[in-house]
Amino acid sequence: MSVIDLGGGVSWVHESFPETNGHIHVSVYLIDAPEGAILMDSGSFHHRQRLADRIHDATAGRGIGAIILSHSDYPHSGNIPAFRQDWGDFEIIASCGDPDLQGLPYARRTKIGDVTEVLGRRFVVLDPPLADRNHTTWVYDEASRTLFVADGFGALHAPGASHVDWGRLPEEGRAEGVHEFHAQTLPWLRYADPDRVMGALHAMLEQHPPAWIAPIHGPPIAEPDIPRYMADLKAALTRIAERD
Amino acid sequence: MNEPGSDTETTPAAAPEPAARTGAGWRRDVWPGIHWIQELGGHRAGIARAVLESGADWYRPGNELYVPQNAYLLTGERTLLWDTLSPASGHILLPALEELLGDRPLDYLALSHPDVPHAGNTMQVLRRYPDCQLVAPAVGETHALYHLDDAMKVGPEDEIDLGGLRVRFPEATFLDAAIHTWMSEEATRTLFTVDWMGFPHQSGESLRRTDEIDTVVDVGRLEEFHSRVMFWFQYVYPHKVTAATDALAVQFAGYGLAPAHGLPIPGEDAAPYYELMNEVVRRVAAGGRGGVL
Repeated sequence: MSVIDLGGGVSWVHESFPETNGHIHVSVYLIDAPEGAILMDSGSFHHRQRLADRIHDATAGRGIGAIILSHSDYPHSGNIPAFRQDWGDFEIIASCGDPDLQGLPYARRTKIGDVTEVLGRRFVVLDPPLADRNHTTWVYDEASRTLFVADGFGALHAPGASHVDWGRLPEEGRAEGVHEFHAQTLPWLRYADPDRVMGALHAMLEQHPPAWIAPIHGPPIAEPDIPRYMADLKAALTRIAERD
Repeated sequence: MNEPGSDTETTPAAAPEPAARTGAGWRRDVWPGIHWIQELGGHRAGIARAVLESGADWYRPGNELYVPQNAYLLTGERTLLWDTLSPASGHILLPALEELLGDRPLDYLALSHPDVPHAGNTMQVLRRYPDCQLVAPAVGETHALYHLDDAMKVGPEDEIDLGGLRVRFPEATFLDAAIHTWMSEEATRTLFTVDWMGFPHQSGESLRRTDEIDTVVDVGRLEEFHSRVMFWFQYVYPHKVTAATDALAVQFAGYGLAPAHGLPIPGEDAAPYYELMNEVVRRVAAGGRGGVL
């Protein structure tokens, strides 16, 4: 299977990487826009050729016309130079105070709170409650009601379950996968008040209700499964806060 | 202590030359055996506006305002580079290294974390010094996604003896990425705090330590940086953060502080800064993030 269709012109191009307690997604998303294909993040160099091949197939050889970059962390940005060689100097849309310092001198800068149009499709740029780098942004695609959340809403999964969305992961170990991901990936959560984080997330979901939540480091979460994920996340944040 | 390969003479008691601009960039000796290479980046107009609106008196309108990137070269009998500046400044870093090292090898390149503004010239440095040992934080699980799988991994139990200088790798108390470490140097008693204890400076203050500038580094100045970079202070229990800061103040009492995004703070002046940072956390937790860096 080349890519997994989430509806509304959004496809999940999943890739995973093995860790001690499970596998972690290092995925990207492909968005069909009126003026071309948009890639949400570029994935890791570790998966470069497979990603390039699948994007080539999914776009009937046309490749991508733009990348929206959540942040410049290498597993999210590492394929930009290679993909620009493959598909030309497509537009990069990135949020940061100084694109030069992030190695993206050619990027179009967006800011939190912007509503920006990319290849004819509108996106709202949001302040992420769950992130590692300060310049990270989340993006809400109004047409499909997909919320792209970068390092947020991640979860580890068992080997062999890399192609299913979060709600269809085996129930056994699913909550633990949410905890493991956040404990290892967002180390500042040791200091966090779970109620503050959850409050910010609930407010965002109320303002931008998603049909899908689309993380890079976890399987997509369908609208009916969001309450269960949020309950597991609250439990994970509480457990992390109480440990330290 | 004047280390072989250093072309600027420094003595422990004397203030170093305040600034020395090389033909290709900025660097100076900050403490004996510790050479500071600085990338200023551009003028931060948005932060300058925020500082002016806050009524702060340390910033003079019209001055350029910088949030720098710092790398530090440690030269004992062996040499170690701590971080590499951003990809925009390879033209600063490499000539500075070549001038500081002369014919000496670079023995270690230690990365605090694989963040672009800290690790952006890693490959260039390794190409220039192919026998250099890459050193990376042991903590974390995804080293292969950063080309760090073959690096020498270090953690709180590890020490590298540079001959005259000894570096250790304490846990990064305040951090962003999972793969992350701080570093201390035990001969000079210096703690390299990476993204913590940064603050903006203005024209005329580049490559100067806090004891060499005329303006004050107060809570507001530290808040301008941390309310952006440590945006997550807005979600914390302040008492948990201040407890961790207080523990650092005890563990590293008397150590100078060498941040990646501010000016170095001499050890004899460092103690009050810990309490300033506690107030920063309380303010950000109450008032939210200041923006994006």
